[in-house]
Amino acid sequence: MTPLLTVDTLSVTFEAENESRRLLRDVSLELGPSEILGLVGESGSGKSLLCRTIIGLKPSPNMHITGGDIRLGDTSIPGLPEREMINLRGRRIGMIFQNPTSHLNPLIRIGDQICEGLRRHRGLSQADATKEAINLLDQVGFPDPPRNFRSYAHEFSGGMRQRAMIAIALACDPEILIADEPTTALDVTIQAQILELLVELRRKRGLSIILITHDLGVVAQTCDRIAVMQEGRIVETGEKRALLSAPQHPYTQKMIASHPSFEAKAAGTNAPATIHPKPVYQINDLEVRFPGTGGWFRKREDFRALAGVSLEIMPGETVGIVGESGSGKSTLARTIMGLTPIASGAVSYAGDPITATSTLTRIRHEVAMVFQDPYNALNPRMTVAETLREVLLTQGETPKSGIDARCGELLDMVGLDRSFLNRRPGSLSGGQCQRVGIARALAVNPNVIIADESVAALDVTIQAQIIDLFRDLSDRLGLTLIFIAHDLAIVRDLCSRVVVMHHGRIVETGPTAEVFANPSQSYTADLIAAIPNIDPDRPLARAGHATAITK
Amino acid sequence: MTDIPSPEPRSILRLRLPGKNTGLVIGFGIIGTFLLLAILAPFVAPFDPVQQNPDLRLTPPSWAHPFGTDNFGRDMLSRVIWGARIDLQITLLGVLFPFIIGTIVGTVAGFFGGIVDTIFMRIIDIVLAFPFLVLMLSVIAILGPGLTSFYIAMALVGWVSYARLIRAQILVLKTKDFAVAAQSLGFSRTRIMFRHLLPNALAGSIVFAMSDVVLVLLNGAAISYLGLGVQPPTAEWGIMVAEGQSFISRAWWIPFFPGVSIVVLAFGFSLLGDALSDIWGRLE
Repeated sequence: MTPLLTVDTLSVTFEAENESRRLLRDVSLELGPSEILGLVGESGSGKSLLCRTIIGLKPSPNMHITGGDIRLGDTSIPGLPEREMINLRGRRIGMIFQNPTSHLNPLIRIGDQICEGLRRHRGLSQADATKEAINLLDQVGFPDPPRNFRSYAHEFSGGMRQRAMIAIALACDPEILIADEPTTALDVTIQAQILELLVELRRKRGLSIILITHDLGVVAQTCDRIAVMQEGRIVETGEKRALLSAPQHPYTQKMIASHPSFEAKAAGTNAPATIHPKPVYQINDLEVRFPGTGGWFRKREDFRALAGVSLEIMPGETVGIVGESGSGKSTLARTIMGLTPIASGAVSYAGDPITATSTLTRIRHEVAMVFQDPYNALNPRMTVAETLREVLLTQGETPKSGIDARCGELLDMVGLDRSFLNRRPGSLSGGQCQRVGIARALAVNPNVIIADESVAALDVTIQAQIIDLFRDLSDRLGLTLIFIAHDLAIVRDLCSRVVVMHHGRIVETGPTAEVFANPSQSYTADLIAAIPNIDPDRPLARAGHATAITK
Repeated sequence: MTDIPSPEPRSILRLRLPGKNTGLVIGFGIIGTFLLLAILAPFVAPFDPVQQNPDLRLTPPSWAHPFGTDNFGRDMLSRVIWGARIDLQITLLGVLFPFIIGTIVGTVAGFFGGIVDTIFMRIIDIVLAFPFLVLMLSVIAILGPGLTSFYIAMALVGWVSYARLIRAQILVLKTKDFAVAAQSLGFSRTRIMFRHLLPNALAGSIVFAMSDVVLVLLNGAAISYLGLGVQPPTAEWGIMVAEGQSFISRAWWIPFFPGVSIVVLAFGFSLLGDALSDIWGRLE
């Protein structure tokens, strides 16, 4: 089998005024016809850079190819003049990106964006291009292609936008499709549909695909071969079953071990302590609405973020709240923190309604929150010490003289060196920032920690470390942990009880092991089945309506 | 593998500056020089700036009078040096007051939103509905001519741009997680506004303030030209340019030197503004 695309000992160097860093070191890859190659690695490992170098779109003019070659068939890409690169991009190599929203032009109809490529690269007339575009929309699974042709990007959901991106990439009938984290921004069930679409396109059109992802589960489900990248090198490459069952490189082993797979031990059923029979939180028939935007002639309709939610949370319990984006998980968290007004129903904290000012003050002293995006959750202008000190001063429990010592202790608790005290978030990694975020939450000396998607933005190995930290802290300090996630595998590892939310309602709740073994609702079953398993022989379940493709 | 080959030859046209803070150094240098001249004016200026000398009317630049003399025979160099006193004061105070008021209003309006925001925004709309100078003139006309009136008028009219800039920034920042985090940690609203949100919102307005300096200078000149600001015979660059315009064909030096001073000072401020916002934005 002659490879379609060969990357041969490629090196890329970043050169600025007085620094020079090698971003890619001797990377070699081969992609065969109608093969799906998974490119795995953590953020900063150079996987996106590699793909952008292949299509000649280096992210910065200071980056230069300093060695090696990229060959597409017989053509060497690095030497090509820009004119020919333009013909190659799109025509022979198509690309789709992580965030379909920002890569679609919001002011041009989806159909016209597809036609643009058809006319430019295939020289079709407007009428033929329209016909072909509708055909493409059909192929990528749009329900009503002629109507969808005239729609704009904002009229679609994230999954549909990603389908539109794929249609645009396919418009020029490329031989290779590079998909850069195509499903990272999507919910699990949608992710399963998109991955299935990619596999199906490979089968129907003989497309070769390079799939960049940080999720080994995704790779295991879709790819033929896997290449693992770390710090600009390919540390291991091989057939997926061989690589996943017998990883050679220590980094690959670590990644596989960190994957929150279903085979991992279920969370200990540390039964809620019976000393405090009173629930920490009692939520009764809670409803939260956001004012909607009506047209000039339409009545304004409020958006109902939570509808009839009832839940009890006992002290010392670890509760996982799962659901897809828009299911109301984060709204629930903000509401019980007293940050979002309640439309109807009641929430009480330790027996008192949270609408009372005195309860709110108690919540501020006893409940702390850890956020999703570690960089956004910290004030970029303040050093770690300033951030922690401010909380300690506001809480007023630590005497002024003990504050510096307490800051140090907090960093010890979250496993950060004390030298981080004088750093600002800008110079920390995502995982380090999240640890600071947790330290800040602990500075409150809380009884309850609400973690809102706190590991979603982190790489798998870091994710595993942060989850261990949460588990350790909740055991050691007897905290009540409310852990919100869209990733069920994590919840299963960490939480004793799970609450499944869908469209602002709780659809299922129960002990984690029970819910996962026997989901009583089809939605829960779909969610569980849609998680890409690291075991390639457990095929991706088809969520909802998707068509059967596996034999 | 071979080592990194030498970088591609760079364009000779590219300006190579000695350090990262060149802008800051030059900007500070320019403003510092003017500041020194202003402070030391009584010692540095060779002549009395208001001393008229009918024999020397409209002398071109010479060794005795390097910037020439004006139509009353006053030494232009001395007038430019003394003018620095008034003009630095006008620029600093004329920008400072609107900056402070606008920043506070913008922060409060953006943070609280709702009715507070609506009220402030409508007030801003009203202020903006009138031409800038007309509004300034009416305020000064009420308060009576003089520099104090000028500062008050600047503060009353000039804050709107700063308020809008800051408000827009605050609106974006307050939805960020760190703002929500600050709220969830029980920090007071004043603290969230001024400790967490405002410092992150300032960079844009600092740059704007530095370019605003030039406009304030020109406004000051316009107001003085109309006889409502600095009163003659006090040396002020704006008035000097204005007075010199009638002699421009015969005595180019009268408007030229004060004009150049305005441009150089403005250049200094804008360099300083860029450098400051860089430093302010640097968060490593």
